[in-house]
Amino acid sequence: MSVGRIGLYIFLAGAALFFAIPLLIVVMTSLKPMDEIRAGSIFAWPMAPGFAAWVKAWSSACTGLACNGIQVGFWNSFQILIPSVVLSVSAGAINGYALAQWKPPGANMLLTALMLGAFIPYQVILYPMVKIMSNVGLYNSLPGIVAIHIIFGLPVMTLIFRNFYAGLPDELLKAARVDGAGFWRIFWEIMLPISVNILVVAVILQVTGIWNDYLLGLIFAGREYAPMTVQLNLIVNSQMGEQEHNVNMAATLLTALPPLLVYVASGRYFVRGITAGAVKG
Amino acid sequence: MSVNVQGLRKSYGALDVLKDINLDVREGEFTVLLGPSGCGKSTLLSAIAGLDPINAGRIDIAGIDVTDRDPAARGIAMVFQSYALYPTMTVRGNMTFGLRVKRLPKPEIEKRLTWAADMLQITDLLDRKPGQLSGGQRQRVAIGRALVQQARVFLFDEPLSNLDAKLRAEMRVEIKRLHRELAPTVVYVTHDQIEAMTLASRIAVMRGGRIEQYATPDELYERPATLFVAGFVGAPAMNFLPVILRGGVAELGALRIPLDAYRFTSPPADGTPAVLGVRPEHVTIGGPGVAVATETLFMEPMGADTLGWFQLGAQRLSARLAPQLARGIDGAQTVALDIANASIFDQATELRL
Ligand SMILES: Nc1ncnc2c1ncn2[C@@H]1O[C@H](COP(=O)(O)OP(=O)(O)O)[C@@H](O)[C@H]1O
Ligand SMILES: [Mg+2]
Repeated sequence: MSVGRIGLYIFLAGAALFFAIPLLIVVMTSLKPMDEIRAGSIFAWPMAPGFAAWVKAWSSACTGLACNGIQVGFWNSFQILIPSVVLSVSAGAINGYALAQWKPPGANMLLTALMLGAFIPYQVILYPMVKIMSNVGLYNSLPGIVAIHIIFGLPVMTLIFRNFYAGLPDELLKAARVDGAGFWRIFWEIMLPISVNILVVAVILQVTGIWNDYLLGLIFAGREYAPMTVQLNLIVNSQMGEQEHNVNMAATLLTALPPLLVYVASGRYFVRGITAGAVKG
Repeated sequence: MSVNVQGLRKSYGALDVLKDINLDVREGEFTVLLGPSGCGKSTLLSAIAGLDPINAGRIDIAGIDVTDRDPAARGIAMVFQSYALYPTMTVRGNMTFGLRVKRLPKPEIEKRLTWAADMLQITDLLDRKPGQLSGGQRQRVAIGRALVQQARVFLFDEPLSNLDAKLRAEMRVEIKRLHRELAPTVVYVTHDQIEAMTLASRIAVMRGGRIEQYATPDELYERPATLFVAGFVGAPAMNFLPVILRGGVAELGALRIPLDAYRFTSPPADGTPAVLGVRPEHVTIGGPGVAVATETLFMEPMGADTLGWFQLGAQRLSARLAPQLARGIDGAQTVALDIANASIFDQATELRL
């Protein structure tokens, strides 16, 4: 083994520890009772590991005045996530397909506009968006936050799918048109089945992006539909009484769990989708 | 069913790809569009299929104006260069897709599938995906997908160009057999002149968005209408000698070549700069024509015959010779130019004289 190799492994191990140690501390702390936390070091192994803090975080921790745990936020995030992901990915796929394959007049201009949309920091348009949403009566509502996620997700989703569909041979669409199939039939029966890998990538991007979102949820969802991240912040930052570190840690882990599961379940597709340049016939 | 194209124009932005195309394909005819890459063959085929909007002109199929019709409403079937099989469908799915779209009854779909698969000997492959097929098998499936349409007009866009030489020859015969048995009207695009000569009943030679000549393979080979056609068709290529025409004689430097045997279509004025074209098989040793003195350069054996190269003044001449004859040739050599079978083109207009 060369010196360079050894150096590389040391670097990689260091990088892994850098991410693993805080995670380990969070997990250990969430399994300890408060007495043990007060008494010992944060690096100490839990003496009597238990899930009491997890149960409390899930069902009875206080988020401001209400004390129903983070589960409220979980269900809110879930209700926001499902329609936002389904609709933004579908719309992105259809847009990308239409732009790349049917090449409507003005497609290139639209594409440039989308690129701009994808790269504008969204803080810039938050205020106008708030005005627009309250004017159409969607501010502080579930449809409101869903609409926001779709709008903010659309440019990137469209670009991902457009690039994928632009890489397919033109003759595929021509053959299907000679066969008499129309816009939707070609989409459903020919284009979508080839797009599984890229669909998985898009879904993962949207699931993690929307689940981890804090700012948009805070601004547009309103109190009733505050997502899990916002509720987590309320638990962690509640100023009443003693800070329950174990509950905070458990709530944090609960919040982080869904995207983690999605990665684990679909990592294989993710890599495949990212490397899927051409579809071989 | 006939295909009739009139005054067709097509441009991409500022680029005029098709400039006033007129083409008439008679019922049952096998027309080949032949030309170098980028001359607009695929664009013309797409226009006939209705896949791309055109800028001007009119397309009739079976005497009906289909200019504004969708591809599926034109009664055509098409085979593409990349095969364009639907990757996630089985061979069966690929071949029946168009029929399912048209909502044909199930028994009819099954009947046509069986018939076409049988015709192309791909019955064993019906449950495979395109990814599991070889190039030749994919090509058969692509043809099968067109066959089940039972269209009377078939459009082929370079269907054999992705196959190796042996398979190409095999599929060429297959396509010829299908045409003989089913007698559809065919428009077939290729840049390969062997394919064109062997398959076509008529060939339209294209160059830069125009049709230079539309004629039978024999006519095209024996009486090319333009300098471009003469150079493009035929391998080894035709010999071109730059000459000045004066009083029924072609002047090549100091050499005088009498043209009495040549039948002019339009007699040229004296002093016209022209190109005298002679095919290698019309340059002979001891054959008919005008004898000229040359110097032997070298011999290229090609199997059935040998290509002999000779220096004639400042020009090189190639001759198709019998191998036995070619072996004995060296040094100064008199060769005969068969003027009766030559072609003469005006150097300025490049048209046949
Ligand atoms: N979609 C397109 N946009 C712009 N130019 C095109 C397009 N399709 C073809 N062309 C141009 O039109 C010309 C003819 O193309 P094509 O018909 O494909 O040639 P061929 O099939 O004879 O090789 C080429 O110069 C090509 O670059
Ligand atoms: Mg082409």
